[in-house]
Amino acid sequence: MNKRYLILALLAVAVGAGMLFMPEPGRDKEIKPEQLLNAIDDPSRFLSTDLITDRLVKKDPALLLIDVRPTKQFSEFAIPGAVNIPIDSLLTPANLGIIGNKELDKVFCSNSDMMADQAWILAKRNGLTAIFVMQGGVNKWFNDIVKAEEPAATEPSEKFALYHFRKAASQYFFGSPEVKSEIANVPKKSIPVQKKPPVAASGGGC
Amino acid sequence: MIGPLIPMEIIPEAWNNVIAVLLGMGFGFALEASGFSSSRKIMGTFFGYDFVVLRVFFTAAITAMAGIIYFDFMGWMDASMLYINPYFVNSAILGGVIMGFGFALGGFCPGTSFCGVAIGKIDAMFFTAGLFLGILLFSELYPLFSTIYNSENLGSITIYEMLGMKKNLSAFLLIVVAVGMFYGAAIVEKKVDKVEY
Amino acid sequence: METKKRDGSFYINPYLGGVLLGLVLFSTYYITGRGLGASGAVKSSVVTTVQAIAPAHAENSGYYSQFLSDDTSPMSNWLVFEVLGVLAGGFLSGILYGRLKLKVEHSPKITSRRRLIAAVAGGMLFGIGSQFARGCTSGAALSGMAVLSASGIITMLAIFGSAYLFSWIFKKLWI
Repeated sequence: MNKRYLILALLAVAVGAGMLFMPEPGRDKEIKPEQLLNAIDDPSRFLSTDLITDRLVKKDPALLLIDVRPTKQFSEFAIPGAVNIPIDSLLTPANLGIIGNKELDKVFCSNSDMMADQAWILAKRNGLTAIFVMQGGVNKWFNDIVKAEEPAATEPSEKFALYHFRKAASQYFFGSPEVKSEIANVPKKSIPVQKKPPVAASGGGC
Repeated sequence: MIGPLIPMEIIPEAWNNVIAVLLGMGFGFALEASGFSSSRKIMGTFFGYDFVVLRVFFTAAITAMAGIIYFDFMGWMDASMLYINPYFVNSAILGGVIMGFGFALGGFCPGTSFCGVAIGKIDAMFFTAGLFLGILLFSELYPLFSTIYNSENLGSITIYEMLGMKKNLSAFLLIVVAVGMFYGAAIVEKKVDKVEY
Repeated sequence: METKKRDGSFYINPYLGGVLLGLVLFSTYYITGRGLGASGAVKSSVVTTVQAIAPAHAENSGYYSQFLSDDTSPMSNWLVFEVLGVLAGGFLSGILYGRLKLKVEHSPKITSRRRLIAAVAGGMLFGIGSQFARGCTSGAALSGMAVLSASGIITMLAIFGSAYLFSWIFKKLWI
């Protein structure tokens, strides 16, 4: 009987030892490096400020504009309708619940492209889908929309259409064309948080 | 077919309760067949004359754990989706100590008491009644306890995260510790007087 | 082949029992994503009873209301069905090995009455403790260990450490 148990004990230890040779699970939702590099090369993640503005004006419910700048900058000026998730807390469980929502298009923005693109890479590495970057960032948005300049008379009509669109958007957001950049009335937005299955019933345990 | 099946919606949730009964039957059968319906057999672990609790408990834990790790490794199961009970430091330890006290007096824990009830052990029935009363008492006196109950929530943390170890190393160590305990238990059992029960 | 003794004295090899239990536990995780449980079902019955008898009280209570807020708390119902299964499974095993017998099991050194009083007291303490720890040996400790949960392992250590201590204090109840 002792020999049998010895064999079983060795078997158990062998099974355990087998685990030591497995790769660390770590962040198992991370995508492979090759996939990430390919995705970075793909420019389709960039969405123009005009497109975002159009969707904001139309109150597209599938759009989630995420400003990844520090909260202080966000409070000085932000695009109306954007939510603030500073980049260093992008991957907290609570925020992952927000940006992990598969039904929304998540568009990152920052002052220029850089921080937003960094946020995009972080999100991509964690396997998130439907993520985008607003090209040109808040700066471009501000210059285009808020400080929309009337084109010279010789410009083609498309440019005029674009100008009118931007001006109308500016009025829509801020009420008057001459608005100071300090005024940033960010309307509150309820963000559906996608729960990670399985959802534990409160105090369910045991 | 990647597990866990129901959260992955491979098996519809409507089957949940049927599955619960079936799994419960396996649970109850394994417990009773191992002798967990007898309070004196269970208490043998604490006095050294019958280490059945140690053997069954740890064997079950490492078997399930190994299964989960290997299945996760093979891609048959997503272990990150498994429920990890949240760690409320003070409440958990206090609760554990109180339960140990109750265990020593009653000779059962809830799962085993159900097995005892199933085969007609009257002391198990009284234990179960006590469980009901105890939970009722706690619930009624909850305002007294709620601070401790809700204090220091570390969330769904694993032991290896808490100790800063690698997951697979801690699993391996658990297996080694368990096997070591089995070996130690066999030695102790030989030295302790036999008890008729 | 030896005929198994059916007089109630035969128990399967504990390691075999452990593997079987481990397979059940693993299957539970594989299918439902959660572990087994036991005290949760008793808690459900307490909540249900209190709600039936004094619904306003239940809703106002800081504790019961946590489990009443969903119209059906899925885990609690799951546990209740699971426990029904446990009773059935235990019963089957009892029949198979000839252990069905109505009796009070106690050490010859104490009376039945004493045993029953201790059983109720033990049950009450265990019930209270299980609420603090949000689980019992099955739910927190066993299932927790299978997923290497910190709470599970620490709770288990607390239970067994404390039980060892108190067993020796109450030695007379057992040996």
